[in-house]
Amino acid sequence: MTSLYLWFLFGLPALWLLARTMRPVRGRQLLFLAASYAFYLTFGWRFFVILIASSLFNFVWGGVIRRTPTARMLWIGIVANVALLSVFKYLPSLASVFADSTGLAARVAHLALPIGISFWTFQGLSYLFDQYRGEQLDPSLTEFLLYMGFAPTVLSGPICRLPELLPQLRHESRATWENVVAGARSVWVGVLLITLGRLLGGGWNGQGVNWGFDHVSSHLPFGDTWLLLIGYGFQLLFDFAGYTRVVIGIAQAFGILLPENFRRPYLSTTPSVFWTRWHMTLSFWIRDYLFIPLATVRREVWWRNLMLVMSMVVFGLWHKASLLFIVWGTYQGLLLLAHRLTQQWQRRNGVQFSGVMGSVSSWAITFVAINLGWILFRARDWSQAGDLFRSAVNPFASGASVLPVSFVVLVVGIVVAYFLIEGWAERKGESHSLLARLPIELRFACYAGIFYFALFHTAEPQSFIYFQF
Amino acid sequence: MISPLRAARGGVALAVFVLALEGWARLDDHLTYGAPLTGPYNAEILYTRDTLGRVGKPHARYRKWGLNEAGFRGPELEPDRLTILAFGASETFGLYEDEGQEYPRQLEHFLNARIGRDAVQVVNAAYPGESAYTADVRAPEIVDRLHARVAIVYPTPADYIWLPFLKPKPAREGAAKVAEPFEWRIADRLRTFLKGILPQRVQTRLRARETRIAESGFTVMDRLPEENVRRFRDDVAHLVQTLKARGVAPVIVTHANLFGNGGQERDRAQLVAWRKFYPMLREEGFADMERRMNDALRAVAAEERVPLIDVAASMPGGHQNFADFVHFTNRGATLMAQQLANGLYPVVENVMRGPRQ
Repeated sequence: MTSLYLWFLFGLPALWLLARTMRPVRGRQLLFLAASYAFYLTFGWRFFVILIASSLFNFVWGGVIRRTPTARMLWIGIVANVALLSVFKYLPSLASVFADSTGLAARVAHLALPIGISFWTFQGLSYLFDQYRGEQLDPSLTEFLLYMGFAPTVLSGPICRLPELLPQLRHESRATWENVVAGARSVWVGVLLITLGRLLGGGWNGQGVNWGFDHVSSHLPFGDTWLLLIGYGFQLLFDFAGYTRVVIGIAQAFGILLPENFRRPYLSTTPSVFWTRWHMTLSFWIRDYLFIPLATVRREVWWRNLMLVMSMVVFGLWHKASLLFIVWGTYQGLLLLAHRLTQQWQRRNGVQFSGVMGSVSSWAITFVAINLGWILFRARDWSQAGDLFRSAVNPFASGASVLPVSFVVLVVGIVVAYFLIEGWAERKGESHSLLARLPIELRFACYAGIFYFALFHTAEPQSFIYFQF
Repeated sequence: MISPLRAARGGVALAVFVLALEGWARLDDHLTYGAPLTGPYNAEILYTRDTLGRVGKPHARYRKWGLNEAGFRGPELEPDRLTILAFGASETFGLYEDEGQEYPRQLEHFLNARIGRDAVQVVNAAYPGESAYTADVRAPEIVDRLHARVAIVYPTPADYIWLPFLKPKPAREGAAKVAEPFEWRIADRLRTFLKGILPQRVQTRLRARETRIAESGFTVMDRLPEENVRRFRDDVAHLVQTLKARGVAPVIVTHANLFGNGGQERDRAQLVAWRKFYPMLREEGFADMERRMNDALRAVAAEERVPLIDVAASMPGGHQNFADFVHFTNRGATLMAQQLANGLYPVVENVMRGPRQ
């Protein structure tokens, strides 16, 4: 955490000044690359070596595919990337089963996961896919290394694509004061979200969502269970969306626009809409490079439906090699499938649920279904998942509430505020502009609050939830 | 060119930002600790002054530190238990340990576990900055009030580096109350935050610079004068005599520190940090001071024929046990309490067998 703060306080302003004054594009690219690598090196040189190896392999193999765009070449590239990911992400879980028996298994079980590997491996894969599809991509080695290791995105995305990033890297410097102001606003909003996420996680006095899942998650009454689940859903959203907003803001200050990752996901009225608003860059990656190519292999409807579910299984597996995540992915796939089948049934029978009631009930079903799914995402084991699921589906589960009043007030307050603010912004069609609309004095008082809580309530060495993926 | 109006609005916004930060800090204190929104909020709110000097306010609370009805850190006192007083300074009061982990609390737990029932209570009679001299001034009043029968004496040698520090400050009758200056709570928080993120090397340099500036007000010594050691020895001896005269069984405890037995200067950064509080003594003088002061404690114990628990010799140093140069971590406080319980148990057993006063 210390090095992150130092990067923020001293590294970024110095880098911005250099980037602003540096005219040659290549010089600026080298500057960004050096800074990105210096940043990533603070997490350990072993991780750095793996990032370099992956980047070099994908760069070279992308060239091979461009010259020989055959399925075989693409498959070699896919297998190599998936193998690298598997060694660090999936093999340790597998080896831990045999860890007691052999020394090698024990060593593998303790392999550290290079931070961000899931994100930059998918970036490498999308480059190979794009080359196979014949996209006109000719990055230099520096540009490709920067694409893979770009400091703002290297830790936890958003997952970028070279066709979006390359023109920006080649453009003359856009590190302007206007971009700094716009980026700073984004960072403020991100910090606010992260702070809210941490507040939900830790509670005001240590009794937050984390405490709830660790201490009281068995035999909870119905209301408590849902408060805990909704609290976790918002903690996850704020933590990851906040992080992404900070990253987008930092890149924006340097004149580089990164793709959005979240767009008011809890306002979604169907699961399909939800997955176009939650972790969008991964969702779209899965859609473009997995679902569409697989679904179009055969014409039958059952095949397309199967591929839909399979794609979401991969989505779950991307997070972690655990049965809970596989089932979570399957659950999300089945939700999408159920939505699709319902739509088809409605079309066939001419049934329409329109109007406010239709929208509200559709939103409520989606909200409940998505939050129910977080049980699988958060539970530490099947036993806890089972307990939570039983309490969540039994409105008659009686018993006095065990959650402290401060927790209830926190969750309800944040959720109500979220729907009021985001609902308003959705209606107005504006993004993150509420702060900007306030008078400057009031805005600075809000900034002070965000600054204060970010510094003194989130400065504990807690990591972001998505760093573990 | 920025227009004057825009510049003025920017200035106002900046002022609003700073004031709002202070407001948020106060609201946070209020919600987290029940601190007052206005007025001062620092460790001083735990104490008041009477004719004997500094004394704890009943039920005062500052952050994790809370005082009981009798004005001492810890739980409320039980009338039927054997009372053991723990005299000392911030090391005894507890700074870095979690609430309830300071060594007097743990000592009580270990002793009761060994006795097999809740027979004793350890009263944390220390406060940060207390010297053997101020403890001696206050001891009769505490002993009489709490009917204590055993006392641990764990004095801080560093208080005797500069003898003028030792003058107690009793309340002056009829003195006009001086208005407290405005306290920026946000400044304290930012300082602590910066301390947390700045690399150790930078912090050490800043401390050394601060010490160099502070040096100008003093005659800097390489070695603690013999007079100071003698004064320490006399004050501890007098405290022991005071306690004995009131029927209390004193037990002297030598002073442990981060550098361990032998006082080797393994951690220069911590020596610099320590010296910041006592700029008149050079870093090299601290280990020597601890050694001589502990010898003085051993001598007092021998002369006064009171038990000595030599934790300076037996307590391992290092950052696992010490959060800074002399203050314990949770683990260090546990080790300290275990060693004290071992040394104290025979004394307690003896007192419990004897007639009740």
